[in-house]
Amino acid sequence: MISPPGALADIGHAVLRWFKGWWQIVHLGAQLLVLALSPSIYTRANRAAMARHIVVGTAPMLLWFTLLSSLISLVVIRIVVVTAASYGLSQYALQMVVRVLVLELIPLTAAVFVALRIGLPDGRELARMRSRGELDALRGRGLDPLAHEVLPRVIACAFAVLMLAAVAGVVTLVLAYFTVHGFTIGGLERYTRTVGQVFTPAVTLIFTAKTLLLALAVSLIPVASALYDLPRSRTRSSAELQALVRLFLVMLLIEAASLVGNYY
Amino acid sequence: MNAQPPAPPDPSPVAHLELKAALLLALLLLLLAGSVLYVMYARGVFEATQQLVLVADDSEGVTVGMDMTFSGFPIGRVRRIELAEDGAARIVIDVPKKDARWLRESSVFTLVRGLVGNVNIRAYSGVLGDPPLPDGAERRVLVGDATAEIPQLVAASRDLVRNLTALSNADSALTATLGNVQAASERLKGRHGALGVLLGNDEDARKLVAALDRTNALLARVDRLAARVDGVVAKADVQVFGPDGLMPETRAAIVQLNGTLADARNTLKQADRLLAEAQAVAANARVASADLGALRAEVESSLRKVDHLVGEINRKWPFARDTELKLR
Repeated sequence: MISPPGALADIGHAVLRWFKGWWQIVHLGAQLLVLALSPSIYTRANRAAMARHIVVGTAPMLLWFTLLSSLISLVVIRIVVVTAASYGLSQYALQMVVRVLVLELIPLTAAVFVALRIGLPDGRELARMRSRGELDALRGRGLDPLAHEVLPRVIACAFAVLMLAAVAGVVTLVLAYFTVHGFTIGGLERYTRTVGQVFTPAVTLIFTAKTLLLALAVSLIPVASALYDLPRSRTRSSAELQALVRLFLVMLLIEAASLVGNYY
Repeated sequence: MNAQPPAPPDPSPVAHLELKAALLLALLLLLLAGSVLYVMYARGVFEATQQLVLVADDSEGVTVGMDMTFSGFPIGRVRRIELAEDGAARIVIDVPKKDARWLRESSVFTLVRGLVGNVNIRAYSGVLGDPPLPDGAERRVLVGDATAEIPQLVAASRDLVRNLTALSNADSALTATLGNVQAASERLKGRHGALGVLLGNDEDARKLVAALDRTNALLARVDRLAARVDGVVAKADVQVFGPDGLMPETRAAIVQLNGTLADARNTLKQADRLLAEAQAVAANARVASADLGALRAEVESSLRKVDHLVGEINRKWPFARDTELKLR
């Protein structure tokens, strides 16, 4: 039996650990941001490492993700346009397509995709290196593991999110145009107007901020989970799964905030 | 167990690593820059625009960024909606210079609400030859709203129903009039009929009937009188125009008068002749009077000689006591 004061103390410890965990993530993010903004970090070796992570991480995914997102976009665009036309609201279909796909679905999909393909494997790799003492060895040689191992991975991961979102967004815009207007350039002016109506300054700002925050969350949280002994709940799930849950929670918050910002 | 070999630093060397990374970075930058420029273009940042202010009573449903159409083509977009000092809504619209030629001084702007609440701002230019709309022009927007009419319609119907109710009340003027009409129709069916309705009471109607009867009697007497007058006229006819009447005698008298007039005319002619003779006598008398002048001169000289002679005699006459000379 646990006495009530002991239970209270347990809850207090848990809350403290929870705050400490988030604080560690934020702290790591701040450290990495400072490192990324210092020109001295971009030595030849670091630049090579970044280039390797970017190419190895993003390039293989780019084609597949673009194809998959195009397929899904095509289906969604078709459904929306046909449904709107059946209600006689086809002039609003294009706006809805742009809003639903480009503003909401594509950044989220890109973030999830990158988290599963790059973020979590990177976190696992860093955790393994840490458990093998390689990071300590680096530190022993006078090299900062944050600068040489962590930062290239984080930057590559964030880059991948932005890249996939940008490519898929542009491809979806093109697909939406051809789905609605057919293979002609006659509707370009009207289509451009519609896009302009959707991307008001506020919406554009929120969209940009959301995509950047998603990229940051995807690249930072798995790495932070690997580097620190973040608090774990009593379940028997692995640290990796815990990081995933944490990541999804953050992504959900960002998405909810963006929706509130856009539509309230 | 723990003696795992450290992971190789570069497990899978990538060919042309730097180039590929640079290409990816360039692609991302290109996409981002292109997207930003495209959105700015789509928002009309690069277009030269002029302003148009539409004033409406109600800007409900109008959103910033929505289009103003002309013949179905978007030619402007709402930039700002503000409340004016007088409570009207001012809808500020940016019209690109290249599309502004469709807007003229005489253009009409409408704000139409659809049934599902969608709002359309439309411009109509009837006379494209009019002078173009100046920058910053302010125009009243006509609101065409299918549902906005409903409250007015309901209010008008309510008024109508109220009036009808007032008309059909028990104490209303219409009911009283109908009652009077009914009483009048009852009278029409009565003994004196329409006369009773016109005169109001039976006594007057009776008087009128009596007057009519007396008028009839009077007319009969007038008829008789007329017959007698006819007789008198016939007699007069005989006396005036009969064989021994006034007219033949008058005619004979006129014949006699004519004869008398002819005599008189003859007498007058004779008188004319007499006068002519008298004129001739007068002319002779005038000649004779001219001779008289000469004669008088001679008489005067003879007298003067006689006088002279008398004077001589007087001087020479011894008996004369008066010796003074008298001049005559």
